[in-house]
Amino acid sequence: MQVMEAEASTTPDLSEASNVLQRLAGAVRAQVIGRDQVIELTVIALLADGHVLLEDFPGSGKTTLAKALGEAIVDDHSPSDATDAVPIAAFRRIQFTPDLLPSDVTGSPVFDTNSNTFHFRHGPIFAHVVLADEINRTSPKVQSAMLEAMGEKQVTVDNITYPLDPLFFVIATQNPLDLVGTYPLPTPQLDRFLFKITMSHIDRDAELAVLDTWQQRRDPAADRIRVGRNEILSARKSIDQHVYIADGIKSTLVDISRALRADERVVQGNSTRSLVLILPALQVLAALRGRNYVNADDLEMLLPHVLTHRVELAPGVSDFGKVLRDCMREPLEQLARSTLKTHHSSDK
Amino acid sequence: MIEITQHNRGLTPGSQPRAQQSVIRALILAIACWVLSTPLTTVAGSAAAFSGCLLACLWLDRQHAGARLFRLRSPLIVLIIAITLAVGAAVANWLTGTSLIAQTVGAMASYQLGQMLFWVLLAAGIGLTLRLLARRHSWGSIPELLFVASAFVITLAAHQRGMIDRPYFIGDFALIRGIDPSSILMAIGVIAVLALAVLLMMENNHKRLPYHFSVLAVLCFSLLAYVQFFGMPTPSLTDDLGLTGQSAAGGGSQSDNPFRDGENDASDREAPVAIVLFRDDYEPDSGAYYFRESAYSQFNGTLLWTAEDDSLDQDLVSEFPASPIEVSDQVPAPDKRRSVTTTIGLLTPHRSPFGLDAPVRFERAPNPNSLRFRQTYTVESLVPEFSFPDLIGRQAGSPDWTVAQWTEYLEMPDDPRYGEFANELIANLRAEFAEDPYAKALAVKDWLDTNGIYSLANEHAYATDPAASFLFGDMTGYCIHFAYAATYLYRSLGIPARVGVGYSVPSANRAGGSALLIQAVHGHAWPEIYLQDLGWVIVDPTPAQTLVDMSTDPQDSLQQMLADMLRDDAAFEAFLQDQAGDSRWSLVNITRGIALLLTALLLAAYLIRFYRTQVPAWASAQNQYRLQYRAALDTLASYGIARRHGESREAFARRLAPAAPVFGVLTEDHLRVAPGYGLAPAGGWQISDQDALASRQYWQQLRKQLQLELTRSQPQWRRFIAVLHPAPWLTSR
Repeated sequence: MQVMEAEASTTPDLSEASNVLQRLAGAVRAQVIGRDQVIELTVIALLADGHVLLEDFPGSGKTTLAKALGEAIVDDHSPSDATDAVPIAAFRRIQFTPDLLPSDVTGSPVFDTNSNTFHFRHGPIFAHVVLADEINRTSPKVQSAMLEAMGEKQVTVDNITYPLDPLFFVIATQNPLDLVGTYPLPTPQLDRFLFKITMSHIDRDAELAVLDTWQQRRDPAADRIRVGRNEILSARKSIDQHVYIADGIKSTLVDISRALRADERVVQGNSTRSLVLILPALQVLAALRGRNYVNADDLEMLLPHVLTHRVELAPGVSDFGKVLRDCMREPLEQLARSTLKTHHSSDK
Repeated sequence: MIEITQHNRGLTPGSQPRAQQSVIRALILAIACWVLSTPLTTVAGSAAAFSGCLLACLWLDRQHAGARLFRLRSPLIVLIIAITLAVGAAVANWLTGTSLIAQTVGAMASYQLGQMLFWVLLAAGIGLTLRLLARRHSWGSIPELLFVASAFVITLAAHQRGMIDRPYFIGDFALIRGIDPSSILMAIGVIAVLALAVLLMMENNHKRLPYHFSVLAVLCFSLLAYVQFFGMPTPSLTDDLGLTGQSAAGGGSQSDNPFRDGENDASDREAPVAIVLFRDDYEPDSGAYYFRESAYSQFNGTLLWTAEDDSLDQDLVSEFPASPIEVSDQVPAPDKRRSVTTTIGLLTPHRSPFGLDAPVRFERAPNPNSLRFRQTYTVESLVPEFSFPDLIGRQAGSPDWTVAQWTEYLEMPDDPRYGEFANELIANLRAEFAEDPYAKALAVKDWLDTNGIYSLANEHAYATDPAASFLFGDMTGYCIHFAYAATYLYRSLGIPARVGVGYSVPSANRAGGSALLIQAVHGHAWPEIYLQDLGWVIVDPTPAQTLVDMSTDPQDSLQQMLADMLRDDAAFEAFLQDQAGDSRWSLVNITRGIALLLTALLLAAYLIRFYRTQVPAWASAQNQYRLQYRAALDTLASYGIARRHGESREAFARRLAPAAPVFGVLTEDHLRVAPGYGLAPAGGWQISDQDALASRQYWQQLRKQLQLELTRSQPQWRRFIAVLHPAPWLTSR
């Protein structure tokens, strides 16, 4: 086994990336208590270059989470590429309301009387971490402006395109109960979110801990863990390069989504794009667990969050978890059995 | 039962049945098809029937409620099935008939092929129709149940009326292998009960289930109790001669008119009533064995009836022998007779014991099977071996008789026609025989043989003198008419005569064996005359013209089986043993074979277990990860711990972590190098010998650790089972 260990130790980049991940998660954990899984998923989405949709009740710590994440990121932007030297905020929050306009999100050109020219005033979307609160309360045109920014990492105003930072990361929320006067996001738009995370109330001990530590966590002067923007970007790269996804995992992934599409309880299955998007997330999770290969555990943990908003169930079917479990059983069994089989790929 | 079951099948019309239910129901229907087809076709044909029905039922049950098939109307579907069947039958016929196929694959094969094709289509058609109706209509499962029930009823119906060797396909199968057919029939009964139980269990209404099962249990137990207290169902007969019935000495209730007994129902003609074992070889010259049970000898004013006068018919015995009974009348001419001993087992109750003409001694015989035999006794008879010269030139009657006896044996209806007609018949006798009683009797018999017409139609029953109505009327009747008419004619000629009643069995029925089966059809009445120094001599008219076919198939196997039962149980066992001896498929051999097979399987299982445990020690380095891990899984399986279906290896290891934490390490190490899963490059790892050894030792270490952890965490009994478990590799995966 020394062989294997040696193999693992030859990837220092990965341990660095893993370190970045741990630090980020630690920074958020210090602020948000009792939401370890949500924090983990959020950090994974950040590293996997995706966005998350949180479904939760008001006052459950969404803003705190987003703010903590945003504040943990330090802008170590090198001044050399300061062509459009806009100071990028660590964290912005947009409260979506029915009367919001796209320009309220993206920003708009403003006439400068001194220079007699228009210059672009950056909207709140120009930040590392954006909290889009109650995204389903605003009109579809604002939603689509927001979603274009998420998909393309750019903003187009008056035919001029403004690129967003590579680290641009959106945490959108919606309230699952209070649906009156909302504009529910259609399935293709939901596809822009890597994860949809449904949160439940935190347990008793955690809730008590929240009350106990409220004072200290509020203290702005406290010494906090910080992670550099460039560190995160390089971690992304090294994870992508050094975490291995075996053929078996990929074929299991395909088999599961095929089983889902064939299931009679499913009206519309997940897209191929979702399978492409999940790969980096799997890699990040493996790295977070200190592994340099993706395993079945990673699949089992991430698939529900990746697929729940991408699959449309037949009328009368509500428990997506059960449908997914049924569809995963056979491919996972095949995957598990494959490890005991002899492989003769060397003959080829 | 059908009503209740149908009502609670838990299957609404049109819905798709659950897989388990559908398989069980298809099996039951297919078995019914097989049972029904077995007597009608070859083994291949019935196998085809079984599989055809099974496949059809399974296929139909797999169809969703919205399938295209269900859009068609029921009559149309039935029509399609019927047309397919007709075409199939035509093709099957062609297959069998055409010489082309027969020449290429052989005549037998082409016949089998045709049978298979026909039966597979027929059974599939039946299965489809039944299942379709059951799914379409709420009453649809009634035909289904009726079909299953009819299969069992038809199979078992052949067994009734004492035909214990039937149905032949079961009887022959059993006898060849030395099994009592009744045990197979019992098994079929048990299967029927089980099938019913299964149908009951398919109900969704669990509240009624216990009730139904208790009803079923009561039925089973009542059947058992019936056999225990009343014995096996005996053949019930329509008896036109008053032979059978409860034993009644003297016969207080015998005031019936024998002409009016019974309706001559032909359906149970073949029912066996008794079995006779010959202790001595005897073949009568007349071609038939006569067993006399009783006689009508005293004229009661209207017709001849059982003698009330004790001085008459002293050769008859009316009571079954509790102790040996000597016949009170001395049988004359013992030098012209031979002693023949027979043992008789009565399958139905009789009024009096009967014996081969002429019985001298009755003795009770041990009854080897009281469920089967009502009475068993041994008869010693002095059978006549008279030659023609012995019979000619004798005087009629006996000089020892009193005047009263003479009068009784000659009394007859006051009808001058008998005398006139009889004298007319003997008018042509040659002078030297003109006064000879036997010659006169023969002349009468001869005339009756030629001119009488045998028929079961009884037109004369309500005439004042049925014999006269017969003789001077249409001359159409059966044995009792001939017997009475002949007796009256003999008596009118001054020859003492009476009507003997009992059984007459063609001697060919013995078929060279030492047993003779008496069936209901053999019940007979015949005239007999008394000749001086010879005793009662049977002069039985046998009409040449007959309107009914009274011949029956010989029941050789039944005859042999009953005889073997009567001889005694030990002999029957010996017979069965003997039959079983040369059969490769005897129960003992089958049991032995199964035991051998099980032992072999067990050994093979242990061998595989040992191999899988030991093989990592000499496997190549590249395969260590796989074989060592498999061995570890086997170890877990021997403790009854196995990965669930669809559970990932990681999840399994986590589940096991409290009991065996080292298994997590094993799993991780295994997965990390598994090609197609972890990091292994295509073609596996290239590891030097040094590393391989280290690797092997490393794995062995982990496995030892696993064993240790399991020993600590698992209870004692689990450890015990783990050591003995023959096939943990069956559940490890």
